[in-house]
Amino acid sequence: MNNRIKEFRARYNLTQEDLAKKVDVRRETIVFLEKNKYNPSLKLAHDIATAFDSKIEEIFLFD
Amino acid sequence: MKRAVIVFILAALVLISVGVWFFSSSAKVTTVDILSFGIIILVVAFAVFIGFKRLSSAKRGEPAEDELSKKVMRKTSSLSYYISLYLWLVIMYFSDKLKFETHTIIGAGILGMAVIFAICWLIINFGGIRNE
Repeated sequence: MNNRIKEFRARYNLTQEDLAKKVDVRRETIVFLEKNKYNPSLKLAHDIATAFDSKIEEIFLFD
Repeated sequence: MKRAVIVFILAALVLISVGVWFFSSSAKVTTVDILSFGIIILVVAFAVFIGFKRLSSAKRGEPAEDELSKKVMRKTSSLSYYISLYLWLVIMYFSDKLKFETHTIIGAGILGMAVIFAICWLIINFGGIRNE
């Protein structure tokens, strides 16, 4: 599974720390997500999509 | 924050206990003692590293634990448990061949478990958890 978190973060002018605070996780988790080293839970994926005012499938791309 | 402080207190207690054992022992200090002391220092350093990570997360206003860290800890626990079983098997096999006292062998086993846990955590934490 790939994701476009970095792209959306740049679009919304958010740092990794800002996004981490918004979705209540550690900054490390955002780093791992962006590097595709971790697949988030459905709840976290939903929270990230909500933070970017988008749908889950716009941010997370399933192969 | 609270958990980070607990980690520091535990690390200090372990260091104090090891210090008391190391400096009050009347017997001659052997290479095995120095090696054990070194490994204990490494394990304590690992605990302090975890404590600092949690403390810096708390200072940034982030949760000390989140779903990734919990998952890493769960996976580390299960993996280190399985590897520790093999460690104990090896220790049981060699216990007759090595001329160490029983408490030394048990101590080495417990220390080995701590080292295995630390290594597993480092591999899983920095390697990431994919497709799960």
